[in-house]
Amino acid sequence: MREKISKLWKKRLNTEPEFNEQSNTEVIELKKQDISTSYDQNLATFKTLFTVPDNIDVKVREFTITSLKRKGVIIFLSTMADIQAIMDSIVEPLIDNEHPSKKIPDIVSYPIASTASNIGEITEYITAGITALFVEGDDQCYLFETTKISGRSIEKSDNEVIVKGAKEAFNERVIDNISLIRKKIKNENLLVETKPISKRSRNNVFIVYQKDLVNEELLQTIKDKLESFEIDSILDLSILEQILEERPRSIFPTLLYTERPDRAAAFIEEGHIILLMENSPGCLILPATFWALFHSPEDHYLRTPYGNFIRILRILALFVAVFTSPIYIAITNFHVGMIPPDLLMAIAGTRERVPFPSIVEVLMMEIAFELIREAGLRVPSPIGPTIGIVGALILGQAAVQANIISPIVIIVIALSGLSSFIISDLSMNFAIRITRFLFIFSAGFMGIYGVTALLIAGLYYLVSLKSFGTPYFAPMTPHSFSSKDLLIRHVPMKEKFRPGYLKPKDMVKQRKG
Amino acid sequence: MQKTKTVCSLMLFFVMVILLTGCWDRGELEDKSYVIGLGLDRSKQEGKIKVTMLLANPEVGSMQGGGGSTEKPREIISFDANDFIAAKATANSVISRSISYDLLRIFVVSEEFARDPMFPSTFFEVLKDKEIRLNSYLAVSKEKAAQYFLKNKPRMETRPHKYFQFMVNHGIENGLIPDSTLFRYFQSAERGTDLFLAMYTTAIREKNPKIKREDEYMAGELNATGELDDTQFIGSAVFKNGVMIDKLTGQETRTINILDDTTNIKDILVNIPDPFSSSQKQFAARILKTQSNKVKMNLKGIRPKIYITIPLQFEIMSNPSRVNYRKEKNRQILRKHIADHIEQMNEDLLKKTQTKLKGVPYPLPLFAKKYFGTIQEYKKFNWGKSYLRADIHVKAEIDIVNYGKQTSRPKKVGE
Amino acid sequence: MNQQPGKLGIREFVSIAILMVGAKATEDTPAVLFRQVQNAAWMIPLLSAGIFFIPLFLLIKTMSLYQDKDLFSVIKKLFGKYLGFIVCLFIFIISSFAVSYDTRTYTNIIRSFYFTTTPNLIIYVILMVICAYGAKKGLQHVGSVSYLIIFYALLSLYIALGISTQQSNIQSMFPIWGPGQLEIIKLSSQNITIFADFFILTMVIPYVTSNKVFKKGTWIAFVYVSIQISVATLIFICMFDASLAGYAYPFHIAIRFISLGDYIPNVEIIFFIIWIMTAFIRFTAFLYINALMFGQLFKIKDFEYLIPSLTTIYLLIGIIPESPIDITLVLKPLIQNLAGPMFAVISITLWLVAQLKGEFKHAKNKNSM
Repeated sequence: MREKISKLWKKRLNTEPEFNEQSNTEVIELKKQDISTSYDQNLATFKTLFTVPDNIDVKVREFTITSLKRKGVIIFLSTMADIQAIMDSIVEPLIDNEHPSKKIPDIVSYPIASTASNIGEITEYITAGITALFVEGDDQCYLFETTKISGRSIEKSDNEVIVKGAKEAFNERVIDNISLIRKKIKNENLLVETKPISKRSRNNVFIVYQKDLVNEELLQTIKDKLESFEIDSILDLSILEQILEERPRSIFPTLLYTERPDRAAAFIEEGHIILLMENSPGCLILPATFWALFHSPEDHYLRTPYGNFIRILRILALFVAVFTSPIYIAITNFHVGMIPPDLLMAIAGTRERVPFPSIVEVLMMEIAFELIREAGLRVPSPIGPTIGIVGALILGQAAVQANIISPIVIIVIALSGLSSFIISDLSMNFAIRITRFLFIFSAGFMGIYGVTALLIAGLYYLVSLKSFGTPYFAPMTPHSFSSKDLLIRHVPMKEKFRPGYLKPKDMVKQRKG
Repeated sequence: MQKTKTVCSLMLFFVMVILLTGCWDRGELEDKSYVIGLGLDRSKQEGKIKVTMLLANPEVGSMQGGGGSTEKPREIISFDANDFIAAKATANSVISRSISYDLLRIFVVSEEFARDPMFPSTFFEVLKDKEIRLNSYLAVSKEKAAQYFLKNKPRMETRPHKYFQFMVNHGIENGLIPDSTLFRYFQSAERGTDLFLAMYTTAIREKNPKIKREDEYMAGELNATGELDDTQFIGSAVFKNGVMIDKLTGQETRTINILDDTTNIKDILVNIPDPFSSSQKQFAARILKTQSNKVKMNLKGIRPKIYITIPLQFEIMSNPSRVNYRKEKNRQILRKHIADHIEQMNEDLLKKTQTKLKGVPYPLPLFAKKYFGTIQEYKKFNWGKSYLRADIHVKAEIDIVNYGKQTSRPKKVGE
Repeated sequence: MNQQPGKLGIREFVSIAILMVGAKATEDTPAVLFRQVQNAAWMIPLLSAGIFFIPLFLLIKTMSLYQDKDLFSVIKKLFGKYLGFIVCLFIFIISSFAVSYDTRTYTNIIRSFYFTTTPNLIIYVILMVICAYGAKKGLQHVGSVSYLIIFYALLSLYIALGISTQQSNIQSMFPIWGPGQLEIIKLSSQNITIFADFFILTMVIPYVTSNKVFKKGTWIAFVYVSIQISVATLIFICMFDASLAGYAYPFHIAIRFISLGDYIPNVEIIFFIIWIMTAFIRFTAFLYINALMFGQLFKIKDFEYLIPSLTTIYLLIGIIPESPIDITLVLKPLIQNLAGPMFAVISITLWLVAQLKGEFKHAKNKNSM
């Protein structure tokens, strides 16, 4: 029976399903051609391509160019282009200018212009909000970058909140995002390359790096990887993140996603590579190590002792978040002698009337906490978090009074739940919360021995993780040269080197004297 | 996909296994009954022992607010058993929960049983049980252990574990009872060269005890009246090769504790005869021991010589004869007197150990070891016998750090 | 993607070596030594280290002639194909049995001190599965993990020993010579098996960044480990005195006894966590090295795939003896008395053969050219 099922599964999964698809070879062939000199033919071609007039926001405006005495047409998407600009600096000069002149660039006053002749290419430009101008008798098409997309302005960072330091965050417009980075690194070596990564919806990814720092090999690996997949559309950076990762099923993240331009700039200065995408309010930092995920920009903005203090708090929170509930289970179920007698008596006394075994108790509360947390996130108003916390308190109080949960479990869960908020990176946060459940099971199974066994196995796994060839715990182990910004950071004057695992072209970022 | 599915089903399997079968060593802690004290007596039947268990009720005294329990704080159960490990199972016919020795703090052995030559063989089974820790204490009770637990009804610390923790700790700090952990018992029994002291206790007060000096009492002799518990912890029982042979009073125990650097006594309050007063007045002093004793030996010859130097710091707490300690002469007299007193006390006690106990009740033989090159030589020397012949000189180095407040004599009316 | 095996740096190598050999202080070694020479037991690790220094030095010298070659290839090269094979097989078998019985010993410790009613097999299987998983990840990762935990491991050992000293009396180490100087030296030469692991560690030379790193790392670990075992033994002697002979695993008795004041009376689990972590690392490294040996022996290139099956075999060998006493009294002494001296003899013979064959001169000529 089982075999049959598994066979069936294999059959269904291993062969590519066949569909009755309509062939679009005609259109593809058409896109490969160049435009003709015939004005009418061009117009007809593009009208069919864009399905005018069904496609309501594709605007085709025909007119006569006064100075040339020839017919012209502009095609643009009214939802993507700046109509005012088109009117003022393209259409108006073309119609009004009466000086006899031969060249279009001399007539039109719009600052950014180029030409193209391939039909496919022109189509792509038009979809990106560029205005195309066809002139009777010309075998070229004039393109004006009139793109104007509406979107959010630059706002405060919501998810990576810090007290001291820059507050601005990336938004959905990549132009703004790049300018935010440029603003911080005023250097001609800062390169912004673009690469299309999906065929159908033509999403571009922007690769940002410092030319004179970045390791060529690493850059090439990333570029190869970006070219390696054929997908119709990748709408968001977070989907790209999953595609790029070496182990997409792993619990632990290997790429760093941040919405803070200051953080991105800091990583670029170290020799990392940043990926940006249109429509994504964030950036990907590659390669990322455990330390990058664990640190927060504020560690560096605060004075050294304070920065280290919150680092220590964070590592403590990490351990508390992962280990309090498992250790509670392990100790109360297996190693009773470990608890001081008074506490043991107190726990035993309160647990006497609780009907469930302690592992069920803990699991119940952990799940309740996760539910409250998720619900608080989805409540569509700013009072969401408040409701969440109030809900947790009331739930806890009532559960204790109803003798379903013993009070000490509430303390344990509250502590581990609160601590998990301190890990600011979203992916890391999830990783921590999921591993907590694994540890709870292992503690229920074999007590401390189970927990330690899982911990060691987990460490073996973590150590073997790699992010674009960089080991997860580099530069701690395997050791490489760096400014030792790991658990504890030094004063900024002592941080003289870029991380060695990146093999940057320039290791030293601060010289003596 | 295939892989993910396998992994998922495996994980599910493990979770089920864990939830369903993970119960070899697992046990909910409210499922157990915790033995705080274990009493051992001789049984009427040959080869058996009488085990008494003092069990704590976790519900009493641990609930903060909201429906305190009306249950009793403890349960006591006595029965005859072959040993106290298998007794755990027997006790379950009476006690509803499974018996655990995890919190076992104190073993109380009746004096009668402790003097039985069979005692060590029974008691060595402690090492076999994994729940019993070597830092629990061994105490000897004057009466039967079963009776002792029944009679012992603390008024303030109704929770038994707290009572024994406080009682024993403060007793040891004052030096009136020895630090008699099982660890030390086995260490001394294994060494076989020195004696072991166990704390002496009773829950029965003597009818008409004599009034003695501050610390010369044995357990039960202190005539305390009022609304109180009759249990007393003072003095010690002497064990030789694991069997009890004698008793020491509170004062003697304290002296041994000062001689023994391995126990950590804190400051001790004592009474010392006042050198300046003709009547038998005594002044109070606090003894602080901050440095270790220095022991020197000369083990050649028939009579080995042992020199012990005890550095002690004194704080004078009272001044009954109102002597003026601003005068250097008075200070010297006092210092000399205290030193003489301490030396006398120690030498008397050590004499007693040589003649009466036939062994030294603290690990003094360890200091002899360094005078020998090899174990063979040390064995040939035979400490056990040589000690009885030894000449022991005790020297007290007294350092008086504080002479107390200087009070002038209150003026009598008409003076 | 590109998971090519990296090489061990000096930190990782030293951590592995210290965790592998240093763990001996926390099992039955101190008690075994005490039974042999009583209170002079603390001298044995130091003296044995001194004795084992000579063969180890010669071995490393011989090995340095062949860059990036492991022990087995050197043995095969110097002893010839057939004799070399037999010697290698012998080493492999001995270390295999050592792994089996050592893992069994650890299982016994865990069972008798911490999980008294859990079946032995379950504990054993968990231990071996985790080790096999780690070993399959590769030596570099084992090194990384050991570097991550070594500080905590050593710190907790120091804390445990430090608290133990409160309960101990330095006078117990006297009479200083124990049963006599001659006896001590005799027994030190018998106990060089303590350091036999260093001999086996030469298998990993190709996985260390350079020969120099290997040499330096080995000496650091060697000196440190001998001191650590000696100090630990001394502290146990001072703490338990004569009763040390009666305890099989003094470290565990000690951590059960010590306490951090009245309010946290029992702390053994904290030390147990770290101890069991080092045990995992130790056996992971052992498993890996044994698989490496097996691969070398029978010319299997992807020896990492052998690890699960080898682990299973060790597990099966390990559960044959019925009671823990069989192991500590019969089987372990057998290996202990055999392994150390034999490894020493092999090292010295290797050096002699190399000397006779004139390999050292070759190397010199090569260098001068």
